[in-house]
Amino acid sequence: MDFEEEEEETQPPQVIDMTTSEKVVDLLNQAALIPTDEKLAVLKQVQELIINKDPSLLDNFLDEMIAFQTDKSIEVRKFVIGFIEEACKRDNELLLRLIANLNMLLRDESVNVVKKAILTLTQLYKVTLQWLVRSKAVSDMQEACWDMVTQMKGDVLALLDSENDGVRTHAIKFTESLIITLSPRTSDSDVPKRQEGDISLDKVPKDHLYIRYDTLCEEGKTALEKLLKFMVHPAISSINLTTALGSLATIARQRPMFMSEVVQAYETLHANLPPTLAKSQVSSVRKNLKLHLVAVLKHPCSLEFQGQISTLLLDLGMPQSEITRSTPAPREQRKRPRHEPYTEGKKIKIEPALIEDDEDKEEPAPITAPKPPAAPVAQSAIDLTAEFLHPLLTSENVANLVLISMVYLPDVMPASFQATYTPVESAGTDAQIKHLARLMATQMTAAGIGPGLEQCKAREDEAGKEDGTGEDSGGKDLLIKRKLPAVMVGQAISVVGGYAEKPTTDAPAAAVKRLPEPILPSAQTKIAGASGRKKVFRLADVIQPLSDTQTENLTSKAVNRILHSEKAIAQSGMSHVRVKLLSRLVTQFEGMMKGDVLEFILDDIRTRSDLAFSLLYQEYNTYLSQLPAGLLDSYDHCLYTLLSGLQEKPEQRDGLFTKLVLEAPIITESALDVIRRYCEDESRVYLGMTTLKELIIKRPSRQFQYLHVLLDLSSHEKEKVRTTALAFLKRMYEKDQLRDYIEKFALNYMQLLVHPNPPSLLFGADKDTEVAAPWTEETVRQCLFLYLSLLPLNHRLVHELASVYTEAIADIKRSVLRAIEQPIRGMGMNSPELLLLVENCPKGAETLVTRCLHILTDKVPPSPELVERVRDLYHKRVPDVRFLIPVINGLEKNEVIQALPKLIKLNPIVVKEVFNRLLGTQHGEGASSVSPLTPGDLLIALHNIDSTKCDMKSIIKATNLCFGEKNVYTSEVLAVVMQQLMEQSPLPMLLMRTVIQSLTMYPRLGGFVMNILSRLIVKQVWKYPKVWEGFVKCCQRTKPQSYSVLLQLPPAQLTSVFERCPEMREPLLQHVHSFTPHQQAHIPASIMAVLEANKKPEPKPVEPVPEKEATTEPIPSPPATEARPTSASEPELQVEQSAIIKDEDEPMEPEQPVPGNLEESVNSVLQEDSTREPDTPSPQPEPCDEPMEEFQPEASDHHEPGKDDEAEPTGPEAGSGSEDAE
Amino acid sequence: MPSHPLRVAVVCSSNQNRSMEAHNILSKRGFDVRSFGTGSHVKLPGPAPDKPNVYDFKTTYEQMYNDLVRKDKELYTQNGILHMLDRNKRIKSKPERFQSCKDKFDLVITCEERVYDQVLEDLNSREQETLQPVHVINVDIQDNHEEATLGAFLICELCQCIQHTDDMENEIDELLQEFEDKSNRPFLHTVCFY
Repeated sequence: MDFEEEEEETQPPQVIDMTTSEKVVDLLNQAALIPTDEKLAVLKQVQELIINKDPSLLDNFLDEMIAFQTDKSIEVRKFVIGFIEEACKRDNELLLRLIANLNMLLRDESVNVVKKAILTLTQLYKVTLQWLVRSKAVSDMQEACWDMVTQMKGDVLALLDSENDGVRTHAIKFTESLIITLSPRTSDSDVPKRQEGDISLDKVPKDHLYIRYDTLCEEGKTALEKLLKFMVHPAISSINLTTALGSLATIARQRPMFMSEVVQAYETLHANLPPTLAKSQVSSVRKNLKLHLVAVLKHPCSLEFQGQISTLLLDLGMPQSEITRSTPAPREQRKRPRHEPYTEGKKIKIEPALIEDDEDKEEPAPITAPKPPAAPVAQSAIDLTAEFLHPLLTSENVANLVLISMVYLPDVMPASFQATYTPVESAGTDAQIKHLARLMATQMTAAGIGPGLEQCKAREDEAGKEDGTGEDSGGKDLLIKRKLPAVMVGQAISVVGGYAEKPTTDAPAAAVKRLPEPILPSAQTKIAGASGRKKVFRLADVIQPLSDTQTENLTSKAVNRILHSEKAIAQSGMSHVRVKLLSRLVTQFEGMMKGDVLEFILDDIRTRSDLAFSLLYQEYNTYLSQLPAGLLDSYDHCLYTLLSGLQEKPEQRDGLFTKLVLEAPIITESALDVIRRYCEDESRVYLGMTTLKELIIKRPSRQFQYLHVLLDLSSHEKEKVRTTALAFLKRMYEKDQLRDYIEKFALNYMQLLVHPNPPSLLFGADKDTEVAAPWTEETVRQCLFLYLSLLPLNHRLVHELASVYTEAIADIKRSVLRAIEQPIRGMGMNSPELLLLVENCPKGAETLVTRCLHILTDKVPPSPELVERVRDLYHKRVPDVRFLIPVINGLEKNEVIQALPKLIKLNPIVVKEVFNRLLGTQHGEGASSVSPLTPGDLLIALHNIDSTKCDMKSIIKATNLCFGEKNVYTSEVLAVVMQQLMEQSPLPMLLMRTVIQSLTMYPRLGGFVMNILSRLIVKQVWKYPKVWEGFVKCCQRTKPQSYSVLLQLPPAQLTSVFERCPEMREPLLQHVHSFTPHQQAHIPASIMAVLEANKKPEPKPVEPVPEKEATTEPIPSPPATEARPTSASEPELQVEQSAIIKDEDEPMEPEQPVPGNLEESVNSVLQEDSTREPDTPSPQPEPCDEPMEEFQPEASDHHEPGKDDEAEPTGPEAGSGSEDAE
Repeated sequence: MPSHPLRVAVVCSSNQNRSMEAHNILSKRGFDVRSFGTGSHVKLPGPAPDKPNVYDFKTTYEQMYNDLVRKDKELYTQNGILHMLDRNKRIKSKPERFQSCKDKFDLVITCEERVYDQVLEDLNSREQETLQPVHVINVDIQDNHEEATLGAFLICELCQCIQHTDDMENEIDELLQEFEDKSNRPFLHTVCFY
């Protein structure tokens, strides 16, 4: 109401015509933007408006209001809590929606908010219970709401153990309220007016669907137990204690059924004030205790407990008169008169704070209490013990007790003692003795000893047995009984010991003897003493958690210290401990520490290798320990860093790298990368690969992985790396278990050659240039390195090459052919596999086979086996004559002669090579092979080639090649050739050409030639037109030597000569005229006639006979005369040589259009050959440049001259001839 | 530091000297402070110890002032009573009785043990409703001007310290212990609930 007025005052003008709803909206809008103080005011207005003025709006604006629960301001949040409370009270239904919000706020970070939430829950717990009990409808929502409230209740009870004093205080008050709510209100209950309508257990129906009467009842009792237990906590703060005392008083008055427990608790507390209280706090607590005791005493139900209460009050210093005044219902007051006499019986402070700790020791008392017969039992336990003690307290006993206790007196008088001490006025009186006995009994009962307690327990046990339901509690007691001794022995020995044990053992006996003096409790003084106030030390109170960064910082500093104390520790001989420590630390804590340590190691790896290894093993260990789920990452990082560090270090000779690799438990991928890099370093390649080899051999489980690296390196671009890798691989290839893998790899790699473009694999992973890069010599070789080095070790592999070769493109083929020389040579021609290859010669691999043959026979004569295969191949499968070339010297003479026509048709260079082979004029000249043909044979064979098989041009060129080899075709050889040719029949067509050529080369053969000519006459040379033509030519050139030959001709033939060469006649005639007459007489007349035919034919015919003689004459001695005429006629011949040669062509080569320039062409051919040889170092590659099939059909006459210089495969007739033709 | 200013009550028996001195200082320091007496009447020294001037709590300071001026201006000027009343009337119009005040406080400071007991009795006799805690602290102060001034400063310091705690309830115990040591006098302290 107040509020509404205020509000109208504060904002009268603008609000007047607004509806409430509009006003609320306006206020809420304001609230969002203004500072906390004003916000609170505004929100309060809203609350007033929607809760009190117009509750119908509550629902509308609920969400907006609740939204403030996340406000930054604590006060606003607290306000929201208050609002929740008010709203829920106004409309219980809202509980369903708001209870969760309250729950949230109950966990707020601010204790003030939490406290407020506890207060509100205290109220709402009752509200909720009431509402739910009344509500008829059953809904899940409600049940859930109740569950949440119940859970929150539990949470708050748990807050009794909160760290925060204020929170505990609030929790106590909540507990108080809870106990009252969860216990039945009875007729003798004090009911505050305001709470008359409050719910209590008696109003809860026993048949509610989800709210269980029994459960609630039990919860209430549990809460009380909790509270009682809480109160006897030795370290309880004075405020909590005060609060609890007040709560107990409230409980006792509102629920007298618990009065027994409450009074008991007061008694116990009074006797055992917490030792942690300071002096003034003790006073405060005692004052409170007094206040509450009086309050309890005033309740009518305190009757039963008046004795205890008034005793307590007396002890607390309240005058009897006042006590009496506070005591109600005087009727039964004297029920326990025996306490009365102690009115002034302030026997000092007995108040033995006995056992300073532990709630456990308190339990016997409270526990007996809660039972229905609790109060009487508890009383009687103390009473019984008191009665038992009373007669024992003789002066002597008491004196003894005092003396014994003296030992345990503390040095300083405890605050609580000092505060409460009053001199004993009535010492020695019976009343005082009784009081003393009772004080002692209280202590003993509290400590769980004494006859009274035992009796009670015995009784209770019996009751438990009789009562079916009592089992539970009986069990409980047993449990506690068992627990007690342990606690007592463990904790109380020094403290209680003297006191507690005496009465049980000695006291009964001893006490009989002497009368008691008041016993000074020894133990408690010691504890409560010392300083006025003492707090139990709790570590949690004085420490604060470090922030993450602080922790990290400290950790890394600590590790660094260990790290850098290397020398100091080494001197003390504890390095191994340090190493172990470091490695453990580093592996346990992630983060930069590890990096630091690794760096440290790498700074001087040589001396710190033990740390490196230790660290590595530790990492591995960690990995193993986490096994199925563990990751190698950390280990990997460690190993990687170490290896990289070593790899990057400029130099180290001590093999630490190898050692690390070989001793690492696992080589990870990245570590392997480092090893690879290491191997790629040219200066370390050997060491690196040795390491790798060791790995491969010694780590069989992953050897292929390692092997793969080595294999990869075998095609490395750096030659040193590559060759080393290949060398290692070759050695490993001998090991059976690795062999297959290596072989497969090599073959796979070679297999790449069949691709049209080199796969990116060849360029390494980083260069991804799969597209369009053409094969190069380099890339092709890359694919072959490994294979080729394996080939000599395993000849079988050669077949794979052949199959790849057939599929590969021409460029690759060329490269392959170039690459295989070494390995093939290494295999040697006796290799069965190679022979097999030759024998099979897959289609498409002919050039390969040829190349192989060439390589094999380059320096060595072919073996019979090889020759056999080639021959076989040639005859049966691929009739390409070029196969024969390499093995030509291994063939039979007739085979060669057979092949000659084909051979000489080949490219002139090839022909030249063939001739070189045959003539043994190879420039290699390593092991001169024995040719099946002598040079003479060859030349003769050439002459005998059937002109149908080969055109004359090729033959002529071939013979020219022979003539080019002056060293081979010496005059002797030629003489023999001519001799043999001449003896043939019919005469070879080229006979005279050869004769003329021979003569040109060796003019001194002139005599021999004359002899030949003469003999040709005998063979009637004129029958062979071509030869005859040559004959005439020869004669023409060899005049005047030939005159005598001419004269041997029959007249008809001589005529024919003159017809051809009319100019011959006159000189011949002259020649005859120069004869002596005798000689002239020998000239037949017919001859003379021919000679003189034009002028005087008469004198000639005279001497045919001598001519015959003359012709027969020279025959017997051709060799003998050879020299003479030659030497004689040499000068002339030489002079005329060029002319002769020029002329000679005319008849011999009618097809040649320009007969006159043979010399030039011959010379040019020779020149060409001589210049070409250096240019084309080895003729071998050329013929193979193209597959044979391709050029075979081309073997025609027409070739362009330019091509002759090239390696292009050409027809058999290329060369000077065609040049001339142009 | 509590998020709202402490609501403080200073209580002596007559709401004249000790409580008003503290009230004066505390309000100057910006506290939300009120002062009370717990006695059944307001008593001021009279011409003799057994003849005090007794008023009820409805009498304003002004009226008392005038009354005393009228009775013996010189005496009451000399013993400082008039001066005190003059100050009091500038603070508020009339003394208040603690037991009659239903307002709620966070902190109640009493000036002697008897007053403390009365405050406690009163608070405990009230019906609990909100369970809002109120801390009651007794600071013994002799009832004369000098002690009142000293006591007021002590109370003020205490209040300032309490106001500056992060979490008053959690720290007040310790704080009081420190003050006890410092001031060398005991403080009674308890908590009650509204």
